[in-house]
Amino acid sequence: MTATITPSGLVGTETPAAVLRRWAETRPEAVALREKRRGIWREITWAEYWDRVEVFAHALMERGIDVGDRVAIHSENRPEWVFTDIGSIAARAACVGLYPTNPTSEVEYLLENSGAAILIVEDQEQADKVLAIPAERLPALRTIVYIERRGVDEYDDTRLVSWDEFMDGGRAHRAAFPDAVLRRMADATLDDLCYLVYTSGTTGPPKGSMLTVRNLQFAGEVLQSDQGIVSPPPNPDDLLVSYLPLCHIYEKLFTVVFGIWVGAQIHFGESIDTLVADMRDVNPTVVQGVPRIWERIHASILVRLSSASRLKRINAAVWMKAADRVAATLDRTGGRHTIVTRVLGAIGHLLLFRALKDRVGLRRCRYAVSAAAPIAPEILRFFMGIGVPLHEAYGMTENAGIATRNAPGRIKIGTVGEAYPDTEVVLAPGTNEILTRHGGVFAGYWEMPEATAAAIDAEGWLHTGDVGEWVGDSHIRIVDRIKDIIITAGGKNISPSEIENSLKTSPFVKEAVVIGDRRKYLSALIGIDFDVVSEWAQRRRLAHTTYRDLSEKPEVVALIQKVVDETNARFARVEQIKKFGLFTKELDHEDGELTATQKVKRSIIETRFADEIEALYR
Amino acid sequence: MRARLLHEFLPAGPDTKDPILEFSDVHLSFAGVKAIDGVSLSVHARQVFAIIGPNGAGKTSIFNCISGVYLPEQGSIRFLGRDLLGRKPNQVADLGVARTFQNIELFPQMTVLDNLMLGRHRHVQYGSVAAMLRIGKAAREEERNREVVEGIIEFLEIQQFRKAYVAMLPYGLQKRIELGRALAMEPVLLMLDEPVAGMNLEETEDMARFITDIRRELGIGIVLVEHDMRLVMDLADAVLAIDFGKPIALGTPAEIQSHPDVIRAYLGEDHATAGGATP
Repeated sequence: MTATITPSGLVGTETPAAVLRRWAETRPEAVALREKRRGIWREITWAEYWDRVEVFAHALMERGIDVGDRVAIHSENRPEWVFTDIGSIAARAACVGLYPTNPTSEVEYLLENSGAAILIVEDQEQADKVLAIPAERLPALRTIVYIERRGVDEYDDTRLVSWDEFMDGGRAHRAAFPDAVLRRMADATLDDLCYLVYTSGTTGPPKGSMLTVRNLQFAGEVLQSDQGIVSPPPNPDDLLVSYLPLCHIYEKLFTVVFGIWVGAQIHFGESIDTLVADMRDVNPTVVQGVPRIWERIHASILVRLSSASRLKRINAAVWMKAADRVAATLDRTGGRHTIVTRVLGAIGHLLLFRALKDRVGLRRCRYAVSAAAPIAPEILRFFMGIGVPLHEAYGMTENAGIATRNAPGRIKIGTVGEAYPDTEVVLAPGTNEILTRHGGVFAGYWEMPEATAAAIDAEGWLHTGDVGEWVGDSHIRIVDRIKDIIITAGGKNISPSEIENSLKTSPFVKEAVVIGDRRKYLSALIGIDFDVVSEWAQRRRLAHTTYRDLSEKPEVVALIQKVVDETNARFARVEQIKKFGLFTKELDHEDGELTATQKVKRSIIETRFADEIEALYR
Repeated sequence: MRARLLHEFLPAGPDTKDPILEFSDVHLSFAGVKAIDGVSLSVHARQVFAIIGPNGAGKTSIFNCISGVYLPEQGSIRFLGRDLLGRKPNQVADLGVARTFQNIELFPQMTVLDNLMLGRHRHVQYGSVAAMLRIGKAAREEERNREVVEGIIEFLEIQQFRKAYVAMLPYGLQKRIELGRALAMEPVLLMLDEPVAGMNLEETEDMARFITDIRRELGIGIVLVEHDMRLVMDLADAVLAIDFGKPIALGTPAEIQSHPDVIRAYLGEDHATAGGATP
């Protein structure tokens, strides 16, 4: 411990931990994170952020975590999540995130597969899941750190240690070996494994995507550049709310990579149920969302408008027309404002739009992203019309979330936009599969060399598994997952997700699975949205009890038949649904029918509901 | 930042082996009808004491005697060594007895936050001038009261309803708010009158979890009147069964469950066993 370590001489490789440490030196007192607890937003500065991360890394070293070991975390988004995330990277270990909704069986698979030595659990609920697994089935797991003490304090499993004690151990280690973490960071390489991000696996068991320092550095530099996603380029005054699952690449990209490289301020709300209130408090400038979130905000604004007083409704009708006009123009100009859209937008802002945006916390939003699933163009136009630049972007775990985005001024609605700078995106000849090649392409699947070889070819192209088509020469439209493409008995190629999405635009439909591979016609299994259909039934004095009971009502079947007819009218004959059945249970992650990100597992549906499907072809 | 445990912002129960509540040979009647006919019970710190019995057996009357609503004709009620007989309900509350009601007694036109702040009423010592000016003691006490209330909001996981009007909330949530208001009073004895009546399974499980956590983290005494036998059997350390105001059995949940008089009186003659039955 004789060598003195100078900050500049130390940071050889730009890991997220090193970049964080630089912020702690250049802007120690500036706010990095805010967390709402007991009604108050509590600030964490960059200096404090680094302190927690460094202590966490020391705590890992104190417990014998070596370079390349895995540290898992099973929690909702909160500052401790990012301390774990970046603290692991500082100790040159890899962080594995588990979805809060993962049931015990999946927790076992993920811990066993990753061989995690330490698991951080949020509370009693998550602790109970891992403690339900016989210890001998998880030989690598030595320590379970629990953040919330309630209930878990009483348990006597010797692997348990509270977060506070764990961090105290880290502080003691730092006092004894002050530069142990810094030394380890100094040896970091671009090939260090940072994350195992498990892809939710609509087919087969989840695979751990290995993301390295090189991948994160590439993504960080792309996102912070003026050719990145936000324009004008992002800066430390940008405010974000972290609320999508942090174990998913999408939220990781914003909370960790964007947050750290840009130096933006990240906010953790009180709970997932308080999202709207938290958004209103923060008024974020950059908002990342999935279609379901944007649909919900859209619906809540419409409900408010329709329940307003008469005068307000008239005002709203006038200005929503203006918003339509603004959106139509922006659609044409690629998102560039004209004098007319500026004038309409400015007056509309004063008379209506500001009030609407205030209610949902979007008043200061200067760039909003929709990704992870296709979004209806009407939703994009709605938000663009009221002055929220909501655009689609595209990426996946295996390319660190970086492929294409709709850059402001160059947008094309219905596409996922164009490739980022220094990013190659092409369509494979013949199949039209989207291929990407850049520094963000992952290092492969954890201990699955065959799956890795199938994903990355000899020239370094990542095969995304998505089929795309060019719109103009620059923009890409996603057609479907390649393995989901249906080839009918007549030899026609059909994209089921387009038909499914069309069905799902009806508020009565929550899930839709189109079937027809090697069959003579298409059919569909449809799941109703219980709340909406139940309300519809109540208005018709249609007595009902359970989900099954409601789904089996002839009136409900007739209701869904109308939805199917409307969708059929939009598609060519071979793409029309001839027969459909209704699910008699709600599809659920715990029952294995949905992935953790709420995507339907087609293969499970096809086996579990085989009888129902056969009935549609009789 | 982790959530605070209850004893980190509320006073813990007394560290004593003596009972905190002694209810001895109490008799109460209305127009010649015996409502309570010689009931005795004692409640300790860290104990959940359940009172069961058919409708009209006199369970709520026992609560009303303790909290000073009714004055028994005979017997004694002592709380932390002090005689409760003859004290007014607000005086009993000031001593550290808080309760919830069968039919929810909240202010429906006020927010959740305001209802909980009202639970802090007995901890407000400043005058109206100081309150208006928000100075000195008023500001400090207000801060402390808000801190306690926010701790309770976090404990009960009702952050999203902080500013909601109570009248707009579903029944199960209102019961949860009522528990919060009782906790805000910093009780030594908490009396819960049918805390899970009318609740669905999930709400019942939540309530059971809250009661368990309160006992473990605060170590106060809890008296429970409840029809849900599963809840009683899961939570209670001691159970008193009464019928027509008369005590018929006192013991552990297992003893009560198999007691022939209890089965007869409470569950009806048809029931061979009492396990899990919810009349």
